[in-house]
Amino acid sequence: MACEVRLALAAMGTRFELVIQGRYEPVLRAAGEAALEAIETAHRELTRFEPSSLLSHIRRAGRDRPVPLTVPMVALFADAQAVWRASDGAFDPTTADGAGFEAVELDFAAGTVRLRKDVALDFGAIGKGHALELAAAVLREHGVTSAFLHGGTSSAVAIGAPPGEQGWRVGLEGDDAPVLTLADAALSVSGARGRQIPDGDDWVSHVTDPRSGDPLTGDGRVAVIGPCARLADAWSTAALVLGRRPAALGPEWDVLLGAGGRWTRDAPSLSFYGGSS
Amino acid sequence: MPDPSRRAFLITTAGSLAALALVPELEATGPRRLPEPKLIGLVGLGRQGRAITAELLKIDGAKLVAVADTNPARLKSGVERTAAVEGFADHRTMLEKRRDLDAVIVATPTHLHRAIVADALQANKHVYCEAPLAHSAADAQAIAAAAAGAPSRIFMAGFQGRSNPVYRLARDFYRTDAFRDFVGGTALYHRKTSWRFPASEGMGDRDANWRLDPELSSGLAGEIGAQQFDVFHWLRNKTPVRATGAGAIRFHKDGRKVADTVTATLTWDDGTTLHFDASLANSLGAQQETVNGTNGSFRLAWTHGWMFKEVDAPTLGWEVYALRQQFHSDEGIILIADATKLAAQGQLKAGVGLPYTPLYYALADFLRSVAYPTVPVPCSAQDGLKATLVGIAVNEAVVKGETVEIGA
Repeated sequence: MACEVRLALAAMGTRFELVIQGRYEPVLRAAGEAALEAIETAHRELTRFEPSSLLSHIRRAGRDRPVPLTVPMVALFADAQAVWRASDGAFDPTTADGAGFEAVELDFAAGTVRLRKDVALDFGAIGKGHALELAAAVLREHGVTSAFLHGGTSSAVAIGAPPGEQGWRVGLEGDDAPVLTLADAALSVSGARGRQIPDGDDWVSHVTDPRSGDPLTGDGRVAVIGPCARLADAWSTAALVLGRRPAALGPEWDVLLGAGGRWTRDAPSLSFYGGSS
Repeated sequence: MPDPSRRAFLITTAGSLAALALVPELEATGPRRLPEPKLIGLVGLGRQGRAITAELLKIDGAKLVAVADTNPARLKSGVERTAAVEGFADHRTMLEKRRDLDAVIVATPTHLHRAIVADALQANKHVYCEAPLAHSAADAQAIAAAAAGAPSRIFMAGFQGRSNPVYRLARDFYRTDAFRDFVGGTALYHRKTSWRFPASEGMGDRDANWRLDPELSSGLAGEIGAQQFDVFHWLRNKTPVRATGAGAIRFHKDGRKVADTVTATLTWDDGTTLHFDASLANSLGAQQETVNGTNGSFRLAWTHGWMFKEVDAPTLGWEVYALRQQFHSDEGIILIADATKLAAQGQLKAGVGLPYTPLYYALADFLRSVAYPTVPVPCSAQDGLKATLVGIAVNEAVVKGETVEIGA
């Protein structure tokens, strides 16, 4: 008999939630908890706020010597570097202290990272996607064929579709906002006003243009849909900073742009049936 | 009393922070380096095996070169996860093919430890065995005997509190007037999870879910509690003499026989007690131990620790410098190792919370003894045996719902 399990986890300063559908509840729960564990591990590795995180370790040790990484962490650094390069720096996971991602030296053969300068890394614009990518892989590995995962409602992965449906229906925020139908696809949404931080008596966007160091202005928003949650996360930030569809994105990616509460789209359809990685 | 020139110091901060936090000494908490590379084989690539893999990458000179797991899917995933590691379908093949290994780390399901430890010691390898040592008294005793029979090999049981810099700092204070006489303690483990694991391809449900099999599992008391009980054995230098307990299935009503919620009381020969409260149905409090004394108490939460003074306790000279944190009506001093040095650098706040995980320090201690064999491991086979037997006895009390005497 079909059943559904919902699980949640507080990590990366937000709430991750999984909805898994299948036949036997204890097995679905076990698979879901293994997926949550992958998210928790990613959180422990990437948090800037815990001295015992891998990121803190890299910050401490990475100036002296190459720091070995697990293969998933190599994938994270590789994707971060790829988007940083392809976006001409519109996405940069180093904090705005001047050094930039060029200070991060990756050795893919050895699986190591080294810091050429005292640079601080902040994977906040790619970390949720990374965690979801790993979690979705765990679910697939354990035979899950229908699930929806999201982190803070801004990053999401659809595995298969609910029974009898073509995909998972996701509504974007705003007037006349489109409803997306996702199957085996990842989604990431970024907005200049998604979160704001205090700046004197004023409030400014939490998203900064890494090239200028200035907070974004306006009320732009972007949704990026494609085959990989980690890349979708990074590209949504890059697209928001650029204010357009990044030229480097291939045809497997769709980008929806919005402003002033309305969405325009550069997509042939609002249904996305991917071959998620 | 600890020498104030060498001990943790607390520094007052503005705002609401008012608890004293334990910050470990830099030498104690900082990165570990081996004088020369040591080649390591890891047996078992489940959750703990994956965590060990990640921690070994952070220790300079620790070279994980071989992994073994009888499950092909997990082995494949483990090999793919780490660069330059060779995979083996079982530990015997690994020992046969990789005679160059210096050390073997055993992180399989608990009931499989015995044969692997024996084979690794027989192959003349140093061995780190995850805690608890075994699911049965017979297996635990056999492991301890095998370690005793290989005196030239380093053997360490993975009870991590003994390696934890914050816990070591607390232990220093435990032996002073800051704590004075032991009154009692509590060990809390709350985590909302089913304790059920999905079976990988080629793996039976019993293999994946041995924790839920009463024949193979020592339950929450044996699998989790034993780690926490050992903190008290280590602090007090003696083990409890009897246990009472009870267990129930409060949430995960999926046909399991192993309780998801457990309470137990462990009693020492002087009548003092340790209360154990564990549940897989609620997450409040996570994992922590509270140690109560006549002059003060410790709250130990693995990466963080606090000391709470009784109001009539003698004033400690360094208190005015301490970092403090408020917990409702109680104020804790944050335990920070090497606080003196950090304070001198104006970096005391940076010392709050361990810079590495408790598992890192346990593995680093083992490898230090491998590199320097005269340095004793913090948790010997005999220490591990005692802790394992206490966990098994407490589980027996929980399962039977009656008092169980704990053997010497």
